[in-house]
Amino acid sequence: MFAAEVNPLGIKSAEVVVCIPSYNEAPNIALPTQKADEGLCEYFQGAKAVIINCDNDSTDGTREVFLKTATEVPKIYLSTPPGVRGKGNNLKNLFKKVLDLKAEVVIVVDADLKSITAQWIKRLGEPLTRDFGYVAPLYVRHKYDGTITNAIAYPMTRALYGRRVRQPLGGDFGFSGRLAEIYLRSNTWDEAVSQFGIDIWMTTLAMNNGIPICQAFMGRPKIHKAKDPVTELGPMFRQVIGTIFRMMIKSAPFWKGVKWSKPTAIFGFGLGEVEMPPTVEVNFHLLHHRFVEGFDDHLELWRKVFCGEVLRKLMEIRDLDNDRFDFPTLVWIRVLYDMAVVFQKTPPENTDVLIDSLIPLYFGKTLSFAKKTERMSIQEAEEVIENESMLFEESKPYLVENWPG
Amino acid sequence: MPKKKVLIVDDEEHIRFLYSEELTDEGYDVVTTDSGYQLMELIEKEKPDVIVLDIKMVDYNGLDLLQDIRNKYYDLPVILCTAYDTFKEDMKSIAADHYVIKSFDLTELKSKIASALEAHIPES
Repeated sequence: MFAAEVNPLGIKSAEVVVCIPSYNEAPNIALPTQKADEGLCEYFQGAKAVIINCDNDSTDGTREVFLKTATEVPKIYLSTPPGVRGKGNNLKNLFKKVLDLKAEVVIVVDADLKSITAQWIKRLGEPLTRDFGYVAPLYVRHKYDGTITNAIAYPMTRALYGRRVRQPLGGDFGFSGRLAEIYLRSNTWDEAVSQFGIDIWMTTLAMNNGIPICQAFMGRPKIHKAKDPVTELGPMFRQVIGTIFRMMIKSAPFWKGVKWSKPTAIFGFGLGEVEMPPTVEVNFHLLHHRFVEGFDDHLELWRKVFCGEVLRKLMEIRDLDNDRFDFPTLVWIRVLYDMAVVFQKTPPENTDVLIDSLIPLYFGKTLSFAKKTERMSIQEAEEVIENESMLFEESKPYLVENWPG
Repeated sequence: MPKKKVLIVDDEEHIRFLYSEELTDEGYDVVTTDSGYQLMELIEKEKPDVIVLDIKMVDYNGLDLLQDIRNKYYDLPVILCTAYDTFKEDMKSIAADHYVIKSFDLTELKSKIASALEAHIPES
């Protein structure tokens, strides 16, 4: 099952599990481990608990740091086989272990978190002791942070599956033991899910399995290790968007029946001061350059994907200079919906090329959003996202009409 | 087909009167209350299909009531109603289905009620 398991206290069962998935996080993993311990001791007193590090066979001593971090709660270390990477693969090991342990409450927090507090454990775990089966995080984020979420993942999942989960790929979440079983038995697992696609996959499966979902207000912004956007965007974009599109294929009968969206319960308000997130800078010129450059690389493919009307609109947008740049939301929605339809008909070996061609358009949409919200507060920018999300819902009949079958 | 029931929670009498008249004309069964006092009991008794909730009442904060409603009634549509849109600065407001700015023209409210009642997620 696991390539390596270290279970110093021989734990065979647990009610509450906190999992910290990792790959080469030796400098960072001690903090979330300590906070998990504090949170479990303070808010889950009396429950049998365990902290599990699900690791990708790190070579930097992550395992040693994790196991040596002093905790009152027992710990288990699990690893994928050497060379097997991906957060999804780590969480697959977690799902198996959760079933072994017969755990009812499972909380996952990223290993590189710098802003985690013990209360995060409470907020992500406590709703699971009520009637909820999946808890998504709700962070206050800077208006330019989380652009894949804002432009694609949130409005798409909301329009498709009818639940408003603001951070569907937040990375930190809680789920029930029952949902772990659903995850493990799902026939929708694939390579993208085993990597960065895991978060959106878990949220989507919870939504289309009718699991009661709530959002946990985390109070503090998510601050974690900086990622290199140049080297990491491509694979992450491919895996996240690929997972969204593939899940659309597999759950079409469900989402076609969804009309409008419903909010979810929010847990965790009134538990302290709200902290504002750090500023995220956006390079307008680079985004514009990447958008325009995309026409050189992908225009031939776009001619096969988009109808003449959408193509003409894209050309018009390309011809706008940076100062007057605007990518209308309705054009963006058509781009995503048309691409989802074509993705459905595309052989699996060619889907990466298709998604890669979306990246420059996503840069264009991001630039347009950044310019529109440049002088806005976080809250005002949120309203823009909410209004755009309503347009995704209002345009859904177009997607349903064009979806084969 | 049975009429859909709308519960209006607002401490301003003229608003309750206006909403009640117009929504009744629209074909809804309308119940009103002027306070959040024992709101949960009222919901339990009246079983409304949608709630129109004033945010700023003298005795109650509508956003706190929204939390109470949402914790007990997972999918009961709630439309927030307010004279000012500053409430959106409080993230509690996202647990509402929709919000409308109070107006004597009820077109928007009627449209939001209709779409809240139309919202549908199939059984999995």
